[in-house]
Amino acid sequence: MSLAVVEGGSYYHHETINAPRFRDRFDHAFYAPDLAEGDLDGFSAVMVADRVSPTVLRAKRRLFLRYLSEGGTLIVLGENQAHTWAPGVEWTFRPTNFWWWLDKGTDPGHRIANPDHEIFRHVSQRSVVWHFHGLLHPPPGAIPLVTIAPEMGGGPDGTLLYDHPGIAGGKGRLVVTTLDPFYHNGSHFMPMATAFLGGLLDWTDAAFRR
Amino acid sequence: MIDALLLDCEQTEGGVNFLMKSVDLGSRLDVVPLYELGGVDLAAYRGLLIGLHADQRYLLARKAQLEAFLKGGGTIVFCGHVAYPFLDELAPYRAIPDYTVADLEVVRIADHPVWEGVDPAHLTFRRGVAGFYGRGANPPPPGARVIHALGPGRHPVDFEARPAAGGRLLVHAGADLWGYVDSDTSAARMAPQLLDWIAAEEGMR
Repeated sequence: MSLAVVEGGSYYHHETINAPRFRDRFDHAFYAPDLAEGDLDGFSAVMVADRVSPTVLRAKRRLFLRYLSEGGTLIVLGENQAHTWAPGVEWTFRPTNFWWWLDKGTDPGHRIANPDHEIFRHVSQRSVVWHFHGLLHPPPGAIPLVTIAPEMGGGPDGTLLYDHPGIAGGKGRLVVTTLDPFYHNGSHFMPMATAFLGGLLDWTDAAFRR
Repeated sequence: MIDALLLDCEQTEGGVNFLMKSVDLGSRLDVVPLYELGGVDLAAYRGLLIGLHADQRYLLARKAQLEAFLKGGGTIVFCGHVAYPFLDELAPYRAIPDYTVADLEVVRIADHPVWEGVDPAHLTFRRGVAGFYGRGANPPPPGARVIHALGPGRHPVDFEARPAAGGRLLVHAGADLWGYVDSDTSAARMAPQLLDWIAAEEGMR
């Protein structure tokens, strides 16, 4: 039972993966451009860090698809253009409002769609409330976890985090989010992003590293 | 010769998007995907702009090419935190531990053409929020000229160095300086002045 992370050589990947706060939470780190056939075999879950080169990820797409079809759990974080290479992922651009929190009392629109989902035993509901990079549109069979309310511009199905069990022939599991916590945590700049990643890694510890 | 080559890292909503579409500045630089650097003849450019999202493991693998560019009199501008020192004059970033707002004040140590007419207060605060400019330092090499430092600890957030290989190296320990090009403050002066500064050193080649 182990978790691998796929990273892209940026400073925030290095900081998040190697600094004391989270370094014990990953069993192995793969540099995306070097990812090779068979590397992902045997890992219970694989996390693709946010902001890895989408061109590199598309070039390694076959490895991710095969991992899913063999029953793996793939967790894809934000700004990876997952809609161009991961099964079932649809996404639309929304200009990012980095400043929503300057107006006290503003509702940025986040809603917890399925509070009983296992992820929320570890991820605090408030730790997902920060700026987001576009909206996902979960396909049939996916479980939306964090959505943007329709009246707040989320449309009928705008989603920031979802869990899609039973994809890729029924055995794989794909968790996708538009949030980019490696970047913010690794830049020493946004405590809520660090809290979200901490919660997510508490979940991967409990679900995949026991 | 073209003023600068910018290495693109496929990120949306960054300064590169503004820069590319700006008639004045966009016509002074080329933009290529980061991973195509190996196939580029850098002799066609005066400057090389490397931003915060760059894959530094890749840059480390291209160290010989970067040094050859410097040796030819080129200027390298790096914005971001050093994780993999891809030039001899770079050392790993040091964050200011448990920083407070006072630690984030941008203090001018030396005048520099890139920051001429830029009010340090416009670097310290954006919309009243401190910390965007920098939250730590890339330790400068001996002999470097520190341009700005942060807070009472004087953490060097900007420096210029003359690399042993030749050329010039300008380092900012924060987000891309060309990302301020659409700012409505004096911070917007940095991007055009950066290209002017790169272009002005023609005599070095």
